[in-house]
Amino acid sequence: MFTKKRILQFCTAALIFLLADFWMYSTLSSDFRAYEAERNFNEIELFAKTVPDERTAQDFAQWVPTVKDIIPGARALYLAFDEQNFNFIAESGSETARALFQAYNSTPDFQKAMESVYYLEPMKLGSTYQADYSLDPDTISADTIRSQVYFVPVVDETGYQVSGAAMILVPTSTATGYSNLLKTLFIAAAVVFLGILLVLTFTRDPLTGFMVLGLFGIVIVFIAYPLIEAIRLSFMKDGVFSLQTWKESLSPTYLVALWGSLRLGVLTATISTLVGFIFAFLIERTRFKQKKLMTTMATMPVISPPFSLSLSIILLFGNNGLISKQLLHLDTSIYGLGGLTLVQVIGMFPIAFMTISGVLRQIDSTVEDASLDLSATRWQTFKEITLPLSVPGILSAWLLVFTNSLADFANPLLLSGDYRVLSTEAYMLVTGRSNLGAGSALSFILLMPTLTAFLVQRNWVAKKSYVTVTGKPSTTLTELTNKPVRITMETFSWIFLGFIASLYLTIVAGCFVVNWGIDYSFTLANWGEALARGWTSIRDTVTLAAIATPIAGLLAMLAAMLIVRKNFPGKRILEMLIMTPYAIPGTLIGISYILAFNRQPLLLVGTGAIIVINYIIRELPVGLENGITALHQIDPAIEESAADLGADVPTVFRTIVLPLIRPAFLSSMSYTFVRSMTAVSAIIFLISARWNHLTVLIFNFSENLRFGLASVLSTILIVIVLSVWALMQIVVRDDKLTQKTISTR
Amino acid sequence: MEKKSVSVTLEHVTKRFKDVKGKSDVIAVNDSHFVIEPGELVTLLGPSGCGKTTTLRMIAGFELPTEGKIYIGNEEVTMLPPNKRDTATMFQSYGLFPHMTVFDNVAYGLKLRKIPHEDIVKRVNETLALVGLSDYGDRAPSKLSGGQQQRVALARSLIVTPSVLLLDEPLSNLDALLREQMRVEIRKIQKELGITAVYVTHDRVEAMSLSDRVVVMKDGFIRQIGSPIDIYENPNSRFVAGFVGKAAFFPVRVKKQEANLWTCQLGEKEVVVERATTDVEVGTEAVLMARPESLRVTEKGKGKIEGKVRMNVYLGNSMEAFINTSFGEVLVQIDDPHAKKVFEEGEEVSIDFTPDRVRLLNENEA
Ligand SMILES: Nc1ncnc2c1ncn2[C@@H]1O[C@H](COP(=O)(O)OP(=O)(O)OP(=O)(O)O)[C@@H](O)[C@H]1O
Ligand SMILES: [Mg+2]
Repeated sequence: MFTKKRILQFCTAALIFLLADFWMYSTLSSDFRAYEAERNFNEIELFAKTVPDERTAQDFAQWVPTVKDIIPGARALYLAFDEQNFNFIAESGSETARALFQAYNSTPDFQKAMESVYYLEPMKLGSTYQADYSLDPDTISADTIRSQVYFVPVVDETGYQVSGAAMILVPTSTATGYSNLLKTLFIAAAVVFLGILLVLTFTRDPLTGFMVLGLFGIVIVFIAYPLIEAIRLSFMKDGVFSLQTWKESLSPTYLVALWGSLRLGVLTATISTLVGFIFAFLIERTRFKQKKLMTTMATMPVISPPFSLSLSIILLFGNNGLISKQLLHLDTSIYGLGGLTLVQVIGMFPIAFMTISGVLRQIDSTVEDASLDLSATRWQTFKEITLPLSVPGILSAWLLVFTNSLADFANPLLLSGDYRVLSTEAYMLVTGRSNLGAGSALSFILLMPTLTAFLVQRNWVAKKSYVTVTGKPSTTLTELTNKPVRITMETFSWIFLGFIASLYLTIVAGCFVVNWGIDYSFTLANWGEALARGWTSIRDTVTLAAIATPIAGLLAMLAAMLIVRKNFPGKRILEMLIMTPYAIPGTLIGISYILAFNRQPLLLVGTGAIIVINYIIRELPVGLENGITALHQIDPAIEESAADLGADVPTVFRTIVLPLIRPAFLSSMSYTFVRSMTAVSAIIFLISARWNHLTVLIFNFSENLRFGLASVLSTILIVIVLSVWALMQIVVRDDKLTQKTISTR
Repeated sequence: MEKKSVSVTLEHVTKRFKDVKGKSDVIAVNDSHFVIEPGELVTLLGPSGCGKTTTLRMIAGFELPTEGKIYIGNEEVTMLPPNKRDTATMFQSYGLFPHMTVFDNVAYGLKLRKIPHEDIVKRVNETLALVGLSDYGDRAPSKLSGGQQQRVALARSLIVTPSVLLLDEPLSNLDALLREQMRVEIRKIQKELGITAVYVTHDRVEAMSLSDRVVVMKDGFIRQIGSPIDIYENPNSRFVAGFVGKAAFFPVRVKKQEANLWTCQLGEKEVVVERATTDVEVGTEAVLMARPESLRVTEKGKGKIEGKVRMNVYLGNSMEAFINTSFGEVLVQIDDPHAKKVFEEGEEVSIDFTPDRVRLLNENEA
């Protein structure tokens, strides 16, 4: 593969291209600089012609600042000609220019320029000078900027004699925008060319090479680069390296928020795990009717839109809540740790439930039978056998919920009250004080515990599982509970689910009430207004999610195929990078995106594209995992047969891989759609006047106490999400049936 | 289907795999160098893990040789991906497309070649007829028996008229009877079409009965290449001798060589041997190899090796006598046992052989 000849070939071609690329770049940029200088010169001469007819000092003082209207950012200083001493004296105008003039007027360059001005010749100085623009009241930057210096003569009334001169500073940075763009383009061209060359020289299957390269490009630009940019900016203050931001972020004010996040996380994780365990145990280890119903109901909150549970809690228990105020006349507030824990537990216990029941399901219940056979009591068996065996599942569940709780953004935004958590704190910093650096620093602090929990879960707990897959799930199930215990657990579960159901019903009720908390009479007016004001948001949200869905699905499956079936350098890194957004809080992604994509050549802030890209990047990990699991179950000989018969990689993907992993593909797509429809933590940073998101609109309405409108939009969102979800469940279930009948030999 | 025959050449091909942990390398194929003639069927035979599959996969293009070159015909294909090679592989697990019918499976290769629909239908039906599956076009592969699936795989490979057919233990999932039928069928079709074929197996009977030539491999090395008769009768090492058939080995000392007659010391006796590998030298230790059917049991003292019958196993057309000797247990095959004197179990006997039916092998070869 890496033979000497090929390396030589590669190096030669690369060298030739790089030289050509560099040559083209330098010609173009010097052409551009020359053009720029020429243009400025013309403009400056134009400016010189606007010299006022009245030539008092005051007129000049009014005249010189107008240079800005001709060349943005330029500064001018009027120099009067002193006939006695035969030299120019700074009179009025920009302080920046004055300082520069004082510093340099005796240099040969300036002398020469003034001489030529005396002979009525305008002049541009050969070199550029550092000028400190902060001296002027209308500062353009706190930094000193390299500037071009021009001198133009101002003639007296006769028109033949010099009476003074204007010295004009033009910051070179007005041109750097363009030349930066030029530079980026040429660097990009070089990178792309080298990549293509690399693939063409060193692989025997260029198509695969290009796909791998493309994936790398995507993850580097849209995952690695924003994060690096966020890290970089958190270490910068006013354009220079500084630890200021981090010092601030680690100050007691924000440590309180960190402590708040952690406390909330621990509480939510512990309670959710407990509740999840009860549900999982009921479903997997006892016998009762309506297991299916219970499972479905208990998994629902996972796909419930953000704000909906909080909204409903506020409607019931808020300051003007139906239960707290109208029924019980209480004066306690739901805002704060208590309310937050409540909504988070409701929203996140399904994660614990699903994780633990996955583990319980795989514990062969014959192990329990054996223990009972050895005359252990049921309680002993549970304590000594079942519980220890499910410990990895319980730990996993706890860590997963903990991660989710810390990253949660929507609920604290509505419900935290005076209680402070990091995710919303970062949001306030960014939106309230436009302090992006501090926002990203806070998100990084938030990342520490979530990432730790995620990695511990992944690499330690998940591997420690004692579960022995016997392959034969035992059909008989020995109940470990006696009847009273089971009935108690069952009753608890139904009440819990009933409470959740009533929360959703509250939202529906909220749609038809004039003014919740004050006037409970029936109305349909909310619908009209909500639809009128929210229609574009609904349309945009659905459109953007619908665009992101197939792209994310296809990309995930393609990446899965490449990672499972192909060998290429950097495979681990690619997989890790794709998985990264799974472990980091949405807030951080959102902030890093506005930091990274707010300038050329990747000026995406404000477009719909940045939202779509964000959806895709955030949902790729789950799709990738689905795809990888699915592919591992497919005999590689099937794909190899297709390749052998003449199919190239894209054809194999299209005709063989995709149809075979269709269930994974479809469920990843539905997952992406639902998650995109209900996204908020990253999206809230990325929406713009043009592209709004339904969830953000719901938040705005709730914050402004327009609960009726918020309820209507929440209901609409829930209906959309539920129907897509249900549809996909049906399709995938059918698919699995057909799959089973045709695949297994 | 038209005949087209090309050769396949492996030129000093070596394949190293990175170990799972990336520490040391596994050498799966070590400096393989041989030519498969046009229209020839060559089997790769050897114990598990000797690199047969890897060799085949390199010819198909699924693996890239670490060193060396591969030619199909006169064209070098070392770097060509599988879809650009004119080879067709039959996998041990068949690799049928589970989401397509039998017809679509077979038609897949033709569709990729953008052949008009009517032609595809015609050729698929022809090919299905060839493998005896005319009525099964609409079935899903999973609704077929193992043998039928195997034939679908064969049809799918044959329909694209590959220059080279590669078969990786294609019959190992079938029962004994079906295996024999399919073996005959594959050989028949291969000969009819004149396709060059490489057949991987670890079953020596399959290798012997099927191939023009056999390549015997061990630990990535090619140990011997030859016709079935050749490797059976004239193995060049103790390993090959033992792998391709039953054999007894006796340690001897080579005393002298006259023309092609070698005189050796076997225990107390001096024996003469007519055949030997080229690396046997006078004055060294060597191994005398004898096939069971080349040995005879005679009365005590009349043969070359003394022993005692431990057990007789009657097989109908022949009998196997297990005889304990000072060199260990020796198997003697007695053909047409009824025509001969049979020695009882426990009887003291002697084993005899003629100089032209045994072979001297170099002692140092494993
Ligand atoms: N992808 C791989 N990565 C690492 N080692 C491999 C790989 N494929 C094969 N090997 C190793 O190369 C050696 C040869 O393997 P190969 O599959 O060619 O054996 P084989 O002769 O076909 O054996 P069998 O009869 O069991 O199929 C083995 O030691 C095997 O472990
Ligand atoms: Mg093999």
